[in-house]
Amino acid sequence: MAILKCSGLTKSFGRVTALEAVDLEVESGRIVGLLGPNGSGKTTLIKLANGLLAPGSGEILVGGKKPGTETKKLISFLPERQCLPDWMSARDLMGFYADFYDDFDRAAAEEMLKRLELDTGKKLKHLSKGSREKVQLIMVMARRAKLYLLDEPIGGVDPAARDYILETIISNYNPEASVIISTHLIADVERVLDDVVFLNKGRVALASSADDLRERHGKSVDMVFREVFKC
Amino acid sequence: MLGRLIRHELRATSVTMLPVMGLMLLVSAMANLALRFMDGKDVPGVLVLISGIVVIIFGVGLFALGFVSVYVMAMRFRNNLLKDEGYIMHTLPVSVHTHIWSKVIVSTLWYAATALCAVLSLIVVSLDVGFIKSLGQTLGELLKTLGDINNLELLTEVLVMLVLSAILMSLSFYASLSVGHSFASRKMLFSIVTFVVMFIFWCLFLYGVNYIVLGIRPERFDLHIDDFMSAWRLIFAYICALITAGGAACYLITAYFLQKKLNLE
Repeated sequence: MAILKCSGLTKSFGRVTALEAVDLEVESGRIVGLLGPNGSGKTTLIKLANGLLAPGSGEILVGGKKPGTETKKLISFLPERQCLPDWMSARDLMGFYADFYDDFDRAAAEEMLKRLELDTGKKLKHLSKGSREKVQLIMVMARRAKLYLLDEPIGGVDPAARDYILETIISNYNPEASVIISTHLIADVERVLDDVVFLNKGRVALASSADDLRERHGKSVDMVFREVFKC
Repeated sequence: MLGRLIRHELRATSVTMLPVMGLMLLVSAMANLALRFMDGKDVPGVLVLISGIVVIIFGVGLFALGFVSVYVMAMRFRNNLLKDEGYIMHTLPVSVHTHIWSKVIVSTLWYAATALCAVLSLIVVSLDVGFIKSLGQTLGELLKTLGDINNLELLTEVLVMLVLSAILMSLSFYASLSVGHSFASRKMLFSIVTFVVMFIFWCLFLYGVNYIVLGIRPERFDLHIDDFMSAWRLIFAYICALITAGGAACYLITAYFLQKKLNLE
């Protein structure tokens, strides 16, 4: 059974259509790149899967269920922006996540924080922006979720931090789970992707396995992306 | 999950509320000392002036304490559920109803703590200060007179009414903020406009129920003190029903907008 399934999914904000008749299936155990330029509907799709938005029409199912309390147990979500409460420390956050998610692996979180040489008792407001982002990623990846939704995880960070983030994702996700990485920085994520979905103006422009795409076009996914979205 | 959310809410809000209450008690102690100074003889004018300022700060602080408490609770709802933190909170495996109830319960607890802190501040400021003691005695006698009527029942009903009013106040803020933050921009402005519009509707509703449906007219208001308790019970039940109706409407608006019209930045 597909962990994420969209059928005729449409979402509009006033007169602007963010997603239009999106049909998509994501199987378990795959790392999927949700690729598209800014404003193509990537974040809207992720918000719909998380139940942060209600669909205008069509359907979105996570683990066969409509987004709700039950599906939120299956999803580990990394938002595009830094949104952890800054009065908490990393230690407080581990307590918070362990309180609400049965699948939170505290030992894994502690190990990742230790490798980062981060003072877990320090309040987040006293950490650098980069460290706060890494703490947020660690909390997300320390869950043994069925579906990881990572919205622009490498957007706005330096190349060294990008490597750290991708390394953290690859070495910590639950292998039976699916990971959806939304980004427009294709070259950086290409090496980790099993499948790619190109979104353009709210529609699925292309959905394929990364290897098939490279074989068919004789080019990297990044090059194909540049051709599809050529201005 | 409600218990866990409440525990988390209490921790988050205590970061602000406990220092505020501690400060209020400190100001009360300082005001007590200032009042003793002012009571004494041959005190230099400058000290009297400083003491007067401290007492004024205490008075303003007492009002500010209530305001800060309401403001902190409303902003907590906004920052936690309608702004960036909402990405974390709304993706927890918790229903919107649980979120709202946790906020309502914690706000009500803090309002009660604020009231307790205000009473404690008054006790601190009046310790061994002559004229405040006599004021306290007068108030005590007044309460005793009221208490003679039917103290336990009356006290319980007044408390119930206060708790319901606190819940209504919280829910009206939550509803306004939820509606206002569903807009793409000027979210706080729309929140205030929503609050004003809701208030107007509430007044019209009260007018409709009181004047048109029940036919209550000021000239018909004939309350005998002999019947105080039976009249009071009727008024109590009526006011509780109105507050519950208002609270239910605000709750439904909040839940609808959080479920269907959530617009996180």
